[in-house]
Amino acid sequence: MKVLNKPVDMIAVFYRSGKVEPVKFKYENVPVTVHRILKRYDEKLAGNRRICFVCINDGAKVYELKYEVDTQVWYLFKM
Amino acid sequence: MPDRIIIHIDVNSAFLSWQAVYNLQRGHPVDLREIPSAVGGNQATRHGIILARSIPAKKYGVKTGETVWEAKNKCPQLLLVPPDHHLYMKCSRALMEILNEYSPRVQQYSIDEAFLDYTGMEERLGEPVSFAHRLKDRIHKELGFTVNIGISCNKLLAKMASELKKPDMVHTLFPGEIREKMWPLPVEELFMVGRKTAKKLRSMGILTIGDIAAADPDLLRHKLKSHGLLIYDYARGIENSPVFPGYYMPMKGMGNSATIPFDVEDTRTARLILLSLSETVAMRLRYSRNCCSVIAVSIKYSDFRHCSHQQRLITPVNCTMDIYKTAARLFDEAWDGSPVRHMGVRAAGLERDSHMQCSVFDHPYYSRNLELDRAVDGIRDAYGIKSVVRACFINSGICASLGGVGSENWPVMSSIL
Repeated sequence: MKVLNKPVDMIAVFYRSGKVEPVKFKYENVPVTVHRILKRYDEKLAGNRRICFVCINDGAKVYELKYEVDTQVWYLFKM
Repeated sequence: MPDRIIIHIDVNSAFLSWQAVYNLQRGHPVDLREIPSAVGGNQATRHGIILARSIPAKKYGVKTGETVWEAKNKCPQLLLVPPDHHLYMKCSRALMEILNEYSPRVQQYSIDEAFLDYTGMEERLGEPVSFAHRLKDRIHKELGFTVNIGISCNKLLAKMASELKKPDMVHTLFPGEIREKMWPLPVEELFMVGRKTAKKLRSMGILTIGDIAAADPDLLRHKLKSHGLLIYDYARGIENSPVFPGYYMPMKGMGNSATIPFDVEDTRTARLILLSLSETVAMRLRYSRNCCSVIAVSIKYSDFRHCSHQQRLITPVNCTMDIYKTAARLFDEAWDGSPVRHMGVRAAGLERDSHMQCSVFDHPYYSRNLELDRAVDGIRDAYGIKSVVRACFINSGICASLGGVGSENWPVMSSIL
């Protein structure tokens, strides 16, 4: 996987419980639907909180999405 | 076992490693800590000193506090990154959050240092050394930067211990270990021994901390006054201040200063800069619920000559306009007309603002100015510092609230334990 850290437009669900889930995003004008979230974890490096999602599409394409809490920006971190 | 166990936590090359971790988090391929790099000011705006450098840069002889130009001469490939004080505040807060999980007795000593009183916690959290290793590893894993931890029976020795060998280490320095670990070190390694004291000590033939401890206290007092006795005690590991929970700093005054990107040669620009600095100082004064009875102005000329001038007021104030008017008058009295590169405004003689003395010399709009300041502070609090600015700053090219780095309330260094 290659590190990109590119901001993306995202449609996400913010559940009443406080849980966040990415649903669909646009990368280089191509819409991508998130098929499955394999793992989610919190990252607090340098005090900067990001919620990270390791996702998989078509059973093989693994990529990482990150939601930066302070700036409320979604990133396609790795692909 | 000693009566108290104090742990000192110190971030290794704080500004640089925070920036390095932040860059890595954003996907930068290079770790700043592994190449010759430094956090330094922008030469274009004349803020050209090194604030922190990486360990590889240290090998080239790059020192904290020297000019960017000197550093570049020593190490031409030195990578410079601009400082980001908001990031540093964020890192500092995250570190304190972790420490506060373990004990309510945590004193934030500076932006990158803290004391934790571990006394009585052994039963729950284990031996201090193994706890320190766990804490250090947790900080590294969660926040991404390394810390040095010093353990001892007082704040001074804990701080001295964490300075021993870096990075990412745990050291103990209990009274029994002073002779072996602290006394062979050169005098300037001792807390509160600076460049000038070190020079005086060396001229007396005192070269190591052990020499201070073995010196005649009367001689030290004779040469260095009360400071001599203080370092005599410190060299013997004697210090007993408590860990003040939260952030403790007996404040004597506060000031802001700024290096101006160009040389100031006319009164109008100088006044604008003074107003801008007064704005910042007055806001901080009001925020800390203080008023001041001494106002001082400092000037650094383009040829690096320095002068300052101060005045005691009849009644304490914290109004922006009152501070500005006094500062402007002091500036006019002190300025010799040469080009100015750096200016500062300082408020001292602090008193609580819960009661204020009125004076027959107060101008008639005094209370209206107070109301105005309160309203402006409220707006700035809610919508940011730039939400309300004075009209005179529009198109002037001068920032409406100069000075400060956003971390004033956590001074980078302090001499009071």
